Parts: sequence; structure tokens; C-alpha cells
Amino acid sequence: MAQKILRIVIAGEGGQGVQAIANILSEAAYNKGKQVLYIPNFGVEQRGGVSIAFMQISNGPIDTMKFAKADIVIALSPRSVARTAQYADKRTLFVYDSSNEIDETSLPAITKKTMAIPAIDIVKTEFHPIVLNIFVMGAVIGVTKVVDLEAAKAALEDKLGYKFAKNPSLREMNFAALQRGMQEVGA
Amino acid sequence: MKDLKEKNETKDKYAVRPIVGEKRAFATGNEVVAWAALAADADIMYGYPITPQNEIMHYWTRMSEKYGRGFLQTEDETSAGFTTLGGVLAGRRSFTATSGPGNMLMQESMCMAEMMRLPTVMIVQQRGGPSTATVIYSQQEVNLTCFGGNGEGFRIVYSTCSHQELFDYTINAFNVAWTHRFPVFVLGDGYQAKMREPVTMYDPRDKGITMVPTEPYVLKEGCAGVDREPQQMRNTYNTEEELNEVVEGLNAAYQAVIPQVVKHEEYACEDADYVIVAHGVVTRAAQAAVEYFREKGLKVGHFRPVTLRPFPGEAFRPIADRAKKILVAESALGQMRRIMTDTIYGCSTPMVNFFKPGEGISTEEIIVKVEEMMAEDK
Repeated sequence: MAQKILRIVIAGEGGQGVQAIANILSEAAYNKGKQVLYIPNFGVEQRGGVSIAFMQISNGPIDTMKFAKADIVIALSPRSVARTAQYADKRTLFVYDSSNEIDETSLPAITKKTMAIPAIDIVKTEFHPIVLNIFVMGAVIGVTKVVDLEAAKAALEDKLGYKFAKNPSLREMNFAALQRGMQEVGA
Repeated sequence: MKDLKEKNETKDKYAVRPIVGEKRAFATGNEVVAWAALAADADIMYGYPITPQNEIMHYWTRMSEKYGRGFLQTEDETSAGFTTLGGVLAGRRSFTATSGPGNMLMQESMCMAEMMRLPTVMIVQQRGGPSTATVIYSQQEVNLTCFGGNGEGFRIVYSTCSHQELFDYTINAFNVAWTHRFPVFVLGDGYQAKMREPVTMYDPRDKGITMVPTEPYVLKEGCAGVDREPQQMRNTYNTEEELNEVVEGLNAAYQAVIPQVVKHEEYACEDADYVIVAHGVVTRAAQAAVEYFREKGLKVGHFRPVTLRPFPGEAFRPIADRAKKILVAESALGQMRRIMTDTIYGCSTPMVNFFKPGEGISTEEIIVKVEEMMAEDK
């Protein structure tokens, strides 16, 4: 309790790559010497269903697995918005994808700031749908500053290096999507 | 037979240590369990896939071959449980891992292990129940793990709260099992299974921990009745009296083991008016809540049973008697509380339940509950 813990919830449809973002990001933060606790939360589906990643990042020990309210919530689908509204309160930055039509009443009533970004539209027009999660990871880094761009790139290289080796253009696209995500949230 | 004997004597392959020095890692709990079993010189894992413990098998199969260990995937959990017993009978440091419905299917074999005093080790990563329920998290496998089947609960169950404990207690489980010859369980949960957090892994030898040697129960050297006593392994009896005597004998042996294995932790309990009781990962929230209240000068403590079976009732009794109120927090509808209250029968301290079956419990929620209790007393 004594240490400030940054709490992040990332949610999306199964298959959107939510857990991959959390995995890469938590590893990047761990490599930077942070204490990190990351819990993937999903149903029995392989695809479909809402998949949620709960992350906590701190300079000191992390006492609790479950938390009631997050500092940052990122929701990538209408259902994810409805599922994660409960984690928002007056200190929460709530970011959601506005490419799909959202039922406005499902958004949390009280937040520090609610931010709509057309993530899916951006990656579709500027890149390729496969880098949606990397774009979102950029946005998460942009708002949280948990790691810098270089650390994020290093973590990506670590996870996807074998794919990049086969097709170097993938590296360029992933790094560009990462930076575009950061830019979208004003970082 | 010859092959088996050779294998029993050839422990050289264990000369290649999976972990050299201290190894700091950022890993999932399942990965940590597989590493711990390797470090503990486990010979073989028997298993059948079920979420959220699958990666114990995945990591074990990935690493076991390199270190000359065995793995058998069976056709179901009933079989995985019984083959684990088979491994133990052959003198192998054997283990299995499961969850939820798989835990239920393994109870028959674990009862047989109780009856025959077989040192099995089983890792349970609790998922939500009843039935298939969720693959996420719960503390709803306490009944099953402590008292499942038609046995009398002659077993030792450690409820862990972190990756470090998963590592430490998995190693410890093999030694406790082979020392006392009762089945030992490491009771984790879906959070611990799937989450990633830092852990320090080590070779037990570097910490002065000696792995308790194993020995075969069957196929021993020499001629039975001539060179040695014959081995009689029974789990079937013909008369009531005969069975009663056997079970009383098991009970006496189990009661003698209790003081050697029973374990708990206390956090600021010595003068506590309000005592939070929680096990497993919920202890982390309870510890943080105690820290919060103590900073404010409020007398709140936390009692954590580490062994749920045997339950540390003797240690808890004076703390419970002294407290004004007890808060029981668990991610189940009182499965731990039932065990606990039985051990402090007659204690008149009021108890408040904070049960969230199948759902995690946060520090903030515990703080709110304790504050409500305090407000009632004003």
C-alpha cells in the first residue's frame, strides 16, 4: 500500500492480441527493474469472448492480485467497454476504440478522462490489421510511460525477432505502428 | 526388473543441474512449478491437460527430456492419479498436477495413497466451481484437496500465495511426502498459475536442502520370505474390525506427523482486536490491509494458515479468543472457514464472513470490511 502501483486493464475480443500486448509490456517493465504482476483473464474460448489483461507495475512489492479500480483502462471492442467500465473511477484514464459503434451508456459515468481513439480504423488504413495490438501497445506506453520507446522496441525484437528475421518489412511495420500508437495519444 | 534396478541406482544423470546458482526470473506460476520439480530431482510427471495448470505439463515435457526425466500423458485424470501411485511404488519421485474436475477424478487415487501411505505429490491450481465453471481463479477446491474421496483426510495441504512459495513448497512437498509417507498437495490457484511475477529459483542443495531419498515399495531385492520380509500392500479388507484397526493406525501416524508439518504465519496478531483470516493469495491483500491499519495505529492483525490440512488450530485458538472480531476472507463460500471453526470449537468471538466464491479479493475490499466491523463496535 505504501508504494504507488500503476494499475492497467487492457481488454478486447479473444484473438485481438490483448494478452500479447500485456506479455510484451510486462516483460519490458520487468527488464527495466520494475516489480510487475500480470494476470491474464479469459474464458474457455480460443477465440471470441472478452479477454482481459490485468497489469500492475511498481517500484516496490505488489500486495494484491485483484484490484477494484485501475489507473488506465484500454477497451478494444464494444463488449470490452461494457465489461471494463467497472474498473474506472475518478482517477482513471479510460481509452476505448471508437472504430465500432459504442453504446454511450456503457461507458463509465465517472473518469479522470475518457479518450476515444479509432485504433482499428487507423491500423486498417495506415498499416495492416495484424498490428492492431502493437498500435495499442504504443498507446499504452504513450499514456503510462512505464517504459520508453527503445525498451518497447527491444521487447518486441525479443518476442518477434524470429519473424522479423524472415521478413524485415514486418519489423518496420511493427515499429511504425508502435510509434503511431504513441503519437495518437499525444506522446 | 534389471532395467528398473539399474535406473534406481543410476542417479548420475541428475549430476546435470537444471539451475546453477540463483536464477532470477519473470515467469508464470506453472513454469515455476515445473522448474521446482526439476530442481527437486523429481523423476517423472504423470498428467492430463486441464486449464489453468496445462503449462506445468508443457514446461515439464519441454525440459524433462534434457535432464533425463520422465513424462506420461494418460487418457484421463483418474489414470494420471493412479500412474503417479505406480511411479511411487517403483520408488520414483513422482508427481502430478491438475485442477477442478481433474482434481475430483484424482481423489480416488489419492485416497488409495492415504490408505497405502504413498508419498505422492500433487499440484492443484484451483479454478472456479462447481463443475466446469471458470478457468480463471477460485479457492473452491479446499474441501476436495483437504478431504476429497472416501478417506479421512490423511494428507498435507500447503496453500501458497506467491511464485516464490510455489517454488519453495513444491520442493518441500517431495521431502515432506517421502519423510512422512502421506500424500502432499501444493494448493495454488488460477491466478498463481497464469500470472507472471518475479521469482528467485535455486538448486535446493545450495540452500542446504537435501532431497529425501526415495525407495521402491515393490520389486525389492532378494527373495520375499527368505532374504527379506514380504511386501504387503493392501487397500482392501475383509472385516469391519480389521479396517477399523488399520484406519486407527493411519490416524495415529497422521496425528504424530501434525506437529512436524503444521504451519501458519501471524501478522501483528499479538494485540489485535480485529483479526483477518485468509489463505492463499488472499493473504497478500490481508497483509497489505494490516499494514494500512497499523500505520493508522489501529489494532488489526492477520492469521494465515499455510497448511490447510492439518489446520493450525492450536496456534489460532489464543488469537481467536483474544480478538474482538474475526473477519474470514476467502474466494469460496466458507470452505476454509468450516475447517477453521472446527478447530476452535467453543470460541465465542464473533465472526464476519467475506466470501467471494470464484472471485479475487482486493486489499481495498478487506479494508472496507474491517472498517465496517469497527464502525459497528463504536
